[in-house]
Amino acid sequence: MKKYTLKKPADGLHIVHPQRFQIDYKNELNKAQYETVTSVNGPHLIIAGAGTGKTRTIVYRVAYLVELGVKPEHILMLTFTRKAAQEMLRRASILLDHRCERVSGGTFHSFANSILRKYSNLIGYERNFTILDQGDAEDVMSLIRTRLKLDTRERRFPRKETLYGLYSRSVNTMTSLNQMLSIDYPHYLEDEPDIRKVHELYTEYKITHNTMDYDDLLLNFNKLLKQNEPVRAESSNHFKYIMVDEYQDTNKLQAEMIKLLAFKHQNIMVVGDDSQAIYAFRGATIRNILDFPEEFPSCKTIKLEENYRSTQAILNVANEILKRAID
Amino acid sequence: MSARHKYLKTLFTNKSEGNLPQLIIAENENLQSKFVVQKILELREEGIPLEEISVLFRSSFLSFDLEIELAKSNIPFRKFGGFKFIETAHVKDMIAYLRVLENPRDVVAWNRILLIIDGVGPRSAEKIIEDILHRRADKANFWKDYNRYPQSVRELFELLKSISTDKLPPAEKASRIITYYHPMMKKKFDDHTKRKKDLEMFEQIAERYKDVGSFLTDLVLEPPNESIADIEPVGSDDEYLTLSTIHSAKGLEWHSVFIVYALDGRFPTMYAANNVEELEEERRLMYVACTRAKEYLFITYPINIYDRESGTILTKPSRFLEGLNEKLLEPWVVDEEG
Repeated sequence: MKKYTLKKPADGLHIVHPQRFQIDYKNELNKAQYETVTSVNGPHLIIAGAGTGKTRTIVYRVAYLVELGVKPEHILMLTFTRKAAQEMLRRASILLDHRCERVSGGTFHSFANSILRKYSNLIGYERNFTILDQGDAEDVMSLIRTRLKLDTRERRFPRKETLYGLYSRSVNTMTSLNQMLSIDYPHYLEDEPDIRKVHELYTEYKITHNTMDYDDLLLNFNKLLKQNEPVRAESSNHFKYIMVDEYQDTNKLQAEMIKLLAFKHQNIMVVGDDSQAIYAFRGATIRNILDFPEEFPSCKTIKLEENYRSTQAILNVANEILKRAID
Repeated sequence: MSARHKYLKTLFTNKSEGNLPQLIIAENENLQSKFVVQKILELREEGIPLEEISVLFRSSFLSFDLEIELAKSNIPFRKFGGFKFIETAHVKDMIAYLRVLENPRDVVAWNRILLIIDGVGPRSAEKIIEDILHRRADKANFWKDYNRYPQSVRELFELLKSISTDKLPPAEKASRIITYYHPMMKKKFDDHTKRKKDLEMFEQIAERYKDVGSFLTDLVLEPPNESIADIEPVGSDDEYLTLSTIHSAKGLEWHSVFIVYALDGRFPTMYAANNVEELEEERRLMYVACTRAKEYLFITYPINIYDRESGTILTKPSRFLEGLNEKLLEPWVVDEEG
């Protein structure tokens, strides 16, 4: 017998008539904010100047997506601190309803951590791996340095802080050890083989002792997604709408993370202000936000410039400070 | 095509024009501090609560003198952006105990808690750790026959064994660790009474968790910002002024903002001045600092500051402000009475 197959209702968006929205988006937002909030599919770059209602705009966009019928679990909000994510979702819940609490939110590190706990065996870790903070990582460097008897030789060998700094920066800026030594520590260039040895043993230590440092969380996340097509597809299918706050302060590994996550749908909205990029010393790169339109060629850029915080007299000084920056 | 350097933008507002921001020169560091204190008291008189005022600086050490002056005038303040709760030695100790419970292969943590014990040096610690790794590889036999260890190490194992069960909530584990650790902490630190408060806070934070694993993960990934500050009940009556590095002031706003030490060589730092990229980052820091203010912005700089590294005396305002039109940034000078 021939059969008709009834299609499942699409998982995507319902068509909701604007008049049936609970929130009057158009009236409660300015033009640029409204445009941001109602931009749904595809890559978007939002340049949000200081005090321009960035958080409010993000909160409204979460509500808008949920009102459109996007499942809250399918929205991922990555922020600089967990507090920021919690605050935004709390505000979205007040604005719309409790559905917004189910949105996935957190920092890049905690998000990576949650995925890694699930699939740790795929990259050679047990589920209960512990995380080394900077001080711990430096202690491990010191341990290895002593074990290799590099601390007792005549010529000076880099301190544990330097060893870890070099390691971490080379990982999260994806720069070679040789290049970093040439720029910052030319006097240690001839020690490159020994430093490399320390770094190798450090990597080994972490695996044998079931620990990861901060960078590993991101690095292993990317490794996991790159090496495992099913995990990558599952993750990308799950997190259908990705938002990133403070994009100007992300590092290379984080930019790679969102590219991997968005590969199925490209529904990625990054929000930030290149003029407020102040974390280069922690490995952040302003290039992420500056090059976003090139990384995602179909990207649409929206600027929020109306400030609700400061007097014009204060803004004049701020604008003037920026104006003198190099072009 | 060359790469983009910035996105052009011009901030505007429908708020009123407001008072001109001021650039204030002081003969020396202490006069700068005294000026800030006096101005804060005046703002208080105007009815602006301390919560609505902040003092921002490029580096944490730049507020030391001001902190003394504030204390003298009984102005309560909190400082953000210096040492973090999680980075203090005694809190790191606490975490290390929990870490070996969670992951017995965590050698760095073992090393830490063994070295706390009186009479255990690096060498004996290493021996014990080796023993732990080889003989105690599986979890089931982990707590068996530790009797051959020295008495003090046995005590540690007794503690750990007693709290190794998953049935005990993390806060209870923390509490027992504190009881064990406290006498050692007393010997280790002169300011142990102050540190004890942090341990109490540690226990309090642990109360929010059901298992040690997630507690540890959060402590590392989402550390409380600063000792004490994070558990202060919301809406407490205590009024306080905020001192903060600019980095830690990101995203926040105040009615009145002071930026101190806007002195070339301190902000931007000497070090940044040699590198275009770093210099631009410092410029953005100044931009972030200025845009924290809603109504009043006071930018101060002391002169006659000796810079040890370069052997020079710093006398100029930050290059990001120098030569700014006086109609935008009003120049003032601090003078002393009589």
